Amino acid sequence: MSAGVGVDLENLWIRFGDFVAVRDANVNINGGDFFSFLGPSGCGKTTILRAVSGFLDPSEGRVLIGGNDMRGIGPNKRPTALIFQNLALFPLMKVWENITFSMEIKGASASQRRKRADELLDMIALPGQGDKLPSELSGGQRQRVAIARALCAEPDVLLLDEPLSALDLKLRQHMRTELREIQQRVGITFIYITHDQGEALTMSDNIAVMRAGVIDQIADGKTIYNDPNTAFAASFVGENNVFRGKIKQVMGNEAMIATNRSGDLVARISTANQGKLQEGDDAMLFIRPEAFSIAADGATGDHFVTARVTHEEFEGNVYNIFTEGEGGKEIKVSLPNLGQSFEDHTGQNITLEYETRNAVLVPAGELAAE
Amino acid sequence: MNNSFLRVSIWVYLVIFFLYLLGPLVIMSVTAFNSSAFPRMTPWECLTFQWFGELFQDQRILNGIKNSLIIGAGTVVLSVAMGLAGALMLTQIWPKLRATYYTIIIAPILIPGVVLGISTLVFWDRINRMLGLGADSVLSNGIFLTVIGQSTFIASYCMLVLVARLQRYDVALTEAALDLGATHAQAFRKILLPFMRPAIASAAVLAFLASFENYNTTTFTFGEYPTLTIELAQKVRYGITPAISALAFIIVALTVFFALLNEAKLKRQELVAAARKKATVEELAGKIKLPSFFAGNMAAVLLVVFAVATITVVGTATAYNPGQCIANVKEQKRLEAEQRIQELRKQREEQRKKREAEEAQQGGAQQSAPKPSNNSGFGNVFAPNTLGGDTEEESSEPETPPSNNGGFGGAFDPNSLQTDQ
Amino acid sequence: MPRFLKDFFNRNGFGMGLAILGLVLFWTVGLIILPQLSMLDFSFRPNLPPPEIGGPKDVYTLENYKYLIYGPEGGSQAYNAVDLRVFFRTLLAAVCVTIFNLILCYPIAYYLGQSKGSHIRIFAIMLIIPYWINEILRAFALRIIFGETGVLNTLFVGLGIWDTPFDFIRNDIALYAGLGYAYILLMIFPMYNVIESLDGNQIEAARDLGAPWWRIHWRVVIPYAKPGISSGCTMVFMLSAGALAAPQILGGPSSLWFTQLIYQQFNDNNDWPQGAAYAIVLLVTCILFVLAMMRLFKVNMGDIGK
Repeated sequence: MSAGVGVDLENLWIRFGDFVAVRDANVNINGGDFFSFLGPSGCGKTTILRAVSGFLDPSEGRVLIGGNDMRGIGPNKRPTALIFQNLALFPLMKVWENITFSMEIKGASASQRRKRADELLDMIALPGQGDKLPSELSGGQRQRVAIARALCAEPDVLLLDEPLSALDLKLRQHMRTELREIQQRVGITFIYITHDQGEALTMSDNIAVMRAGVIDQIADGKTIYNDPNTAFAASFVGENNVFRGKIKQVMGNEAMIATNRSGDLVARISTANQGKLQEGDDAMLFIRPEAFSIAADGATGDHFVTARVTHEEFEGNVYNIFTEGEGGKEIKVSLPNLGQSFEDHTGQNITLEYETRNAVLVPAGELAAE
Repeated sequence: MNNSFLRVSIWVYLVIFFLYLLGPLVIMSVTAFNSSAFPRMTPWECLTFQWFGELFQDQRILNGIKNSLIIGAGTVVLSVAMGLAGALMLTQIWPKLRATYYTIIIAPILIPGVVLGISTLVFWDRINRMLGLGADSVLSNGIFLTVIGQSTFIASYCMLVLVARLQRYDVALTEAALDLGATHAQAFRKILLPFMRPAIASAAVLAFLASFENYNTTTFTFGEYPTLTIELAQKVRYGITPAISALAFIIVALTVFFALLNEAKLKRQELVAAARKKATVEELAGKIKLPSFFAGNMAAVLLVVFAVATITVVGTATAYNPGQCIANVKEQKRLEAEQRIQELRKQREEQRKKREAEEAQQGGAQQSAPKPSNNSGFGNVFAPNTLGGDTEEESSEPETPPSNNGGFGGAFDPNSLQTDQ
Repeated sequence: MPRFLKDFFNRNGFGMGLAILGLVLFWTVGLIILPQLSMLDFSFRPNLPPPEIGGPKDVYTLENYKYLIYGPEGGSQAYNAVDLRVFFRTLLAAVCVTIFNLILCYPIAYYLGQSKGSHIRIFAIMLIIPYWINEILRAFALRIIFGETGVLNTLFVGLGIWDTPFDFIRNDIALYAGLGYAYILLMIFPMYNVIESLDGNQIEAARDLGAPWWRIHWRVVIPYAKPGISSGCTMVFMLSAGALAAPQILGGPSSLWFTQLIYQQFNDNNDWPQGAAYAIVLLVTCILFVLAMMRLFKVNMGDIGK
């Protein structure tokens, strides 16, 4: 999909008074990509979106759309269309008038608009609903009308500001698939803002993980999940068990870490930090709950952790075991439910085993808030 | 028991309260139909529409209405515009300035109207002098000054009405319009303005009414262009006639009419919205079955009743001629007065005769005359001096007609007077 | 350009922003601030014929204010007793009208605010309709009622309760009734707005705890409704003290209202600076009085007009 128009952020800074909302962001978004900004609320991702759509000027740096500098070009002149968090459907206009508002601005006739509205309504699977008012639609339908309205403007880049956050879980999951399908059909660049890692992982070609105005990592979903750059990226995307400690010994791409509470453990250094983490550095070791398995009792070594089970729960697809390691360290283990029998370990000590490639070492840093 | 006592007393209180509130208006309206030259409900003389005729021939009133309409239109435009701008500014002003700004734009509501009138007059007079303009320039024109003076505080009312709606406006709607290619002016016209329309309509009505009834400010600024209110005040201060009641009746009727119309419209919108909710997709695209206009809409029913009543009254007014009744009342008053004079004469005659006789008989004199026992009830009280006065009954002193036509029963049947007398 | 202005124009566009800014400045500066300052300035100047304005005689003076206190120079009395009495009587009467209105309207506002049902809308219309009728006509209506041969006198004398008509106008009863009548809506509306938002469960809870009805009002409703009450009282007080139509029409011949004195200075004596000085005195006194009351009852300016 090289046909789409790319978006580039170059050394982008955005300040509000003394507050720095975006700090030196550098992002290249390929044309036709589904690109997500993922981060907790207040991390500056919406600010970036508003800078791209033209509602605020960057304090420093440039926004380029299709290689053109957008400085001084208002939101109504940019080849972008924004889908607002609350959708911002015009409450007094009928659905078809909402959808074709951009044509009305350009002076298209009512019959032309009607025709285009019908096409788009078919595309979003709401045929014949054009005469309703937005308030007469369900949440998911409104969602789709907002998409159709944005697409009607024939933008090169579609910007989506957490558009699914108001929907219930089932609908949200359904809309993920639908959004991805629409994006692939129209082939334009989508820039998607979300705090929901599930949305980002399922839909995106590439994801930028943001923390407090800083972009920690830009990569595809698999890389972000398996090979995080920072402690924040590791802890924000998916669940993770963290072990703090000091690097004891670096062995190529692997290293031995002396953890504060669970003894010496061996792990893979994350790709971005290979060659940078040195012996004696403060580091964090991340192991996903599903990366653990239960080892035979008494096994010891640099990829074993012993812990006492505090409680267990059955979640359906997985079986969660909550343990307390040495010194009160909490560790969560998720065993997939493959129909095997589970024995209740509550109160017992068990030994957990992991494979070195599933344990990632990053420099010590800020963790995502729970 | 305590509870029901409270409930009863609340209702009694409500009745008294609304009597205080509406009673004067009802009484004033009724006096417009009484032929008595002084606006009064009792004693009832004749049903008449003459005061309406008189009203429409009063050039000063008509001129006042014209001036009021011109000034009202100007005030509506200026204060709604300023109120909207003020409200928009209030929602986006720098937070540190907000409290000060709010105090400034809300202050005109609390500043006495006379102060606003005086300050407007003094300020624009000074501007006028600074520009070296004469006394007949636009800046010292009564219409200009009145519009400016009234708008100063009416804009604050408009601002309050508009800001209440504006606070429910989602700025994202304007941004969405801009994002879809609209200019700021287009976004304002196509998105914000339609959203604000109900509030703008309310503000405009409020502004017009406030301008129309304003006295305190206008009385300093009107110059050569007295408004209706100014003319009314002159009339009320220097002699009142039922023609004013007639005008009041028209205004009350119009007000009630528009209040009911508005209420019926609101109710209608609710019903339509409810019907749309229930309608299927096909119905929405084609013809939607809407509830009939009167279904579940009490205000609409009242409106029609009111309209019918108005038409009836107007119809009656054109067909009805109270001349006979007025003549009757006149005649009756004349008769009464004559009778009194006669009685008086008779008494004097008798006295004279008596005196003569007494003088003749006794040579002594008894000067005291027995009081004439002429009038029933309170005629005595009101008109102690009319005895022996002329027969002109249209003075403000009442010649009390017989008590039987004091109530409504007789009032609406002009012939009953005749038969009773 | 300061950041605020830059944001403002970014958000509204240049043309729209300029229109908004222009209108707001015209209103706040041109119609509110400058005229008041101009009147203040004027009140410190002598009354001169137009050609002499700006001339050597046009100097600042306190004469106009002295006049209110001491009367004309070389006058027979030490103080301007007539004007001062009118001034204080006006303020006192405005306070009385405000209290009367508060007592009259509180039960209605409470009832309307806490009742549910479609009849409330009808009550609301009935409340608003008199307010749409011309101020002069409302005063006129009361004059018909309170006049010497008006409805009330006819009624009471006819019923034999009084044997002579009572002069409502000379006794100022008509005036107070008229002033109270004129501003009922302004008292009810702010109170109604606040009381409507009071959760009925609070009252239920208080009742459930055994509080008698007067205590519920004293401890629950009135404290909650305080912003509305102060807003209503402020408006009624300011408007009563500044009323002109009702005193002119319903006032007795001997009982002047302070605004009538101002009116006389302007229209009869043609002494504008003197009138401006009186207007300033009225304005400043009323504002100080309201601020003092607000401090006494601990309410904020921001609550007014809600």
